[in-house]
Amino acid sequence: MISNLLKNDNRGQMEVIGLVIIVILIALGMLFMATFALQSEPQKKIFTRKGLAYSTMSALMKTTVSKDSACYSLSQGAPKIGGDVIEDCAKYRDVDISIYQCMGPYSGKALHSCAFLQEMITYSLDKTLGSWNKHYEFHSQLIPFQGEKPIDLIEPVMSEGCPKWKERDSSGLFPINTEAGLVENTLYLCD
Amino acid sequence: MTETIAILFIFFVLLLFGVIFYFRYQKIALQEKQEELLGTRAMESTLKTLFMSELICSRGEAEPEDNCFDVLKLNATQETMQKYLDEYYFEIFSYATITVQETYPENKTWILYDKQKPDFTRKEPTFFVVTLKDELAGDNQPEYGFGYVAVTVYS
Repeated sequence: MISNLLKNDNRGQMEVIGLVIIVILIALGMLFMATFALQSEPQKKIFTRKGLAYSTMSALMKTTVSKDSACYSLSQGAPKIGGDVIEDCAKYRDVDISIYQCMGPYSGKALHSCAFLQEMITYSLDKTLGSWNKHYEFHSQLIPFQGEKPIDLIEPVMSEGCPKWKERDSSGLFPINTEAGLVENTLYLCD
Repeated sequence: MTETIAILFIFFVLLLFGVIFYFRYQKIALQEKQEELLGTRAMESTLKTLFMSELICSRGEAEPEDNCFDVLKLNATQETMQKYLDEYYFEIFSYATITVQETYPENKTWILYDKQKPDFTRKEPTFFVVTLKDELAGDNQPEYGFGYVAVTVYS
C-alpha cells in the first residue's frame, strides 16, 4: 500500500517536471516570436525618410521658375518658388490676375501664380517621390494674422496621403513671411 | 514506462522544433544584418556625395548651400571622376553607381560614378532630392533647377 503510494507520487513528480519543461519551451518560443515582432524599423529607413522629406522641401523652395515659363519679365531675376511665387499667390489669391503668369509644366499655359504653384509642386513631387512609390502629403497654409485659422493656399498635394496614424516624418515647417501673412509649408513622407 | 517514453518523445519533438526555429532565426538575422550593413554603406555614400566639395554649391568662403549641386561643377566632376575612378574615388565609394538627374526645367542626366560589382547579389538604391544651381542660365542671378541624386551600392 505504502509502496504503491510512493510509486504514484514519483510518477506525479515526473509528469509535473515534463509539464514544466513544455511550458519553458513554449515560453522560449514566444520570446523568440516577440523578438521578431518587436524588431525596430531599420535605421536607414528612418534616416532616409527624414532626410528625404527635408531635402525635398528645401530643394523645392529654392527652385526658380525657368526662362521657358516666360513669367519673369517684370522682375529682376527668375522668381523663386519658396519666395516670389508663394508671396504672389498669397497676395492675389482672391483676384483673377496675379503679377506672375507662368506656364505650368503640365498644361503649358500661362497660369495664375496659385494655379502655377499647384501644378509645379504636383509635377516636382510626382517626378521624384512619386516615381519612387513614396507616399507623401504637401501642405501650404496661409495664416493671415496671428491667432487666425490657417487657410489652404493651394489644395494639398498628395500621393496616397500620410494620415496621422501612419508612421510618417515631416520636413518641418518652412515658413515664408509675406504681406498677406505667414505661409507655412510642410511635407509629410511615409512609406 | 510508456508515459515516460511519451513525455520524452514530446520533449525531443519540442526540442527539435526549437532547434529548427533557432537556426531559421539565425539565417534570417544574418540576412538582415547584411542588409543593414549595405543600408549603412548606402547612407554613408549618399552623405559623402551630398557634401562633396567637388559638387556642393559654394560661394567663396561663405557657408555652402545644403542640398544643392552646382551645374558647372557637375559638368567638370563627371569627367574627373571617370578619369580617377580607380585611383582615387574607388577608395571612397567602393562598388556603387552615382547619378544626378534633373527633372526641372530640363531632363539632363549626369553619371558621376559607375563601378558595379561583377557578381553582385544585392543592391541598395538611395535617393535624395537636390536643387541644381546654374550660374550661366540666369540673366542677373543664378537659376535653380530641381532634380535628385541616386546612389546605388552593391554587395
